[in-house]
Amino acid sequence: MVFAVLLLPALHAQTQNEGQPWIDVEFPRDSPVLAVSTTFGPSNVRPRGASMSLDLHASLLLRNTGSKTLSGLTLRVEAQDVTPSGKASVTVPSLSVQPGEVFPVRIDAQLVRPFSIGRGEGALVQVSLDCALFSDLTAYGPDKLNSRRALMVYELEARRDRRYLAALLQTQNWARVREELDFGLQDLHPQQVGLELLRDPRENAWHEQPVNVGAVAFRNAPVQAMSGAARVAGNEVRAPAIEVKNTSQKTVRNIDMGWIVRDERGREFVAGSMPASLQLGPVQTGIMTEQGTLRFSHPTGQPMMIGALMAFVNDVEFADGKLWIPSRVDIDEATSDPLLRRALTTSPEQQRLAEIYRRKGIAGLQEELRKLN
Amino acid sequence: MKEAKANLHPNAVVLALFSSGDLPWRDQWRVKRHVNHCEQCEQTAAEFRAAKTELKREAQTETLTAFEAIADWAVLEREMLGNIAVGVSAARCIEKVRRGRSFLIKGAVFAALTTLFVAGWITHVPKEQTDHLAASLRQIIGLERPQAAGTQLRTTPDGIAVRAQGATLTIMHPPSAVISVSGPSAMSARYVDEETGQVTITKVYAQ
Repeated sequence: MVFAVLLLPALHAQTQNEGQPWIDVEFPRDSPVLAVSTTFGPSNVRPRGASMSLDLHASLLLRNTGSKTLSGLTLRVEAQDVTPSGKASVTVPSLSVQPGEVFPVRIDAQLVRPFSIGRGEGALVQVSLDCALFSDLTAYGPDKLNSRRALMVYELEARRDRRYLAALLQTQNWARVREELDFGLQDLHPQQVGLELLRDPRENAWHEQPVNVGAVAFRNAPVQAMSGAARVAGNEVRAPAIEVKNTSQKTVRNIDMGWIVRDERGREFVAGSMPASLQLGPVQTGIMTEQGTLRFSHPTGQPMMIGALMAFVNDVEFADGKLWIPSRVDIDEATSDPLLRRALTTSPEQQRLAEIYRRKGIAGLQEELRKLN
Repeated sequence: MKEAKANLHPNAVVLALFSSGDLPWRDQWRVKRHVNHCEQCEQTAAEFRAAKTELKREAQTETLTAFEAIADWAVLEREMLGNIAVGVSAARCIEKVRRGRSFLIKGAVFAALTTLFVAGWITHVPKEQTDHLAASLRQIIGLERPQAAGTQLRTTPDGIAVRAQGATLTIMHPPSAVISVSGPSAMSARYVDEETGQVTITKVYAQ
């Protein structure tokens, strides 16, 4: 009887969703990237209690219809009927798609919607272009998710890492290549953490402890972290704040501050980054703050106790639109800890090249770098 | 003489009836005359009388015993009350056993339905909804402060989920993905797609 009760909404849902398309892919007519086809993997709609669950596994085949080489792309994924205040994106950086070439982008999403929520006439999931970055660092797209800057940072990091690895290969520094890309087989997969971002956290101030935020300084960074503080309560970091100083001669308009967390066992990992719009003239100081709370947990779900916090300048955007990212030399000089250095240098391109190295070896890596450089 | 009249002996039935005085008076007189002169028949008649007497005595004894019991009303009343009390107690015992069995059956049915419900809940209701329900219950009983309704971001083993108004959008990623916070209202996962070989970065925003 219970199952029958549980299945009733399901039957209703099947009827309700008949005729409603799952996904709608829309690109502007003048877009330099257009969808060629959409194929679905094992996607399905099924009831889950009082909700409908849509498992969507779609593969879009896109074509670079422009005249420039495509370096990166961000697609916006929305489910307006269901989560109007929640959005998602799928970014594919480190591309080198020549004009006329096609390339795939996979979208794997799950949508759980209570039956009580009314449905619209459109598709359950809408996919659209947010930003496309070309090899000359020009961009196209509405950039509603601020993807352009992220794509530019990825592209700059990719170029930096390709040059660095190409230099290592040229000098036949195999040991360093292996260290960069292999780094001990047991460390192939970085530490997994569970994160929860709380905008309106529950207050239990009596457990909070103020902690100082250490700074990992890059010598050539145009912005230096001076001092910082945060409140830590068990596995939660609250209201981190750090004072920064513009040490360059140019005005800064955006700073992306990276955060490193040390857990109760002394392991360090990059928890993420906090971009902030902060207009800083030369020699000016400012404070970057984040009012939200970040909660950490182990993959098993157990809380991960916070031991210490460190911050580093991930990238800086000047008023003229130019970007600064730390060089390899900056990172090498900043820390002698190999694990931390690895965490700081693991860019998307480094991750992709490491995968090529593992699959195809040195020859494959050389071929890839030759093709891209 | 007695020897001579042996062939005229009355049979056992006549002697039995004679001994009990149940023959007609004429036959009774004639048989009496014979018995007075016949030692054998006299003995048989005496045996019949003795047997009848014994039977009467035994019958009288039995009748008297039952009659004595019936005659003692106080004893009979006590015995009857005792029997009634035993009967009532036995009925109560049976009722208790029945009640116990009924309770066990009802309990087993309830447990089975509960198990079925829990199994159905686990297999059909998303974890997010269960968590939400648990949080609501905690808030109702005062263990937890109500949290302002809003958009929540969290990582799950399969992806990054944004939850708003009871609905959840999850962008899936493989277990090898590197998870990080990306700004004040976004989380990202980075991985190399096994099929395409491309680095893919998924981000989920709570705006």
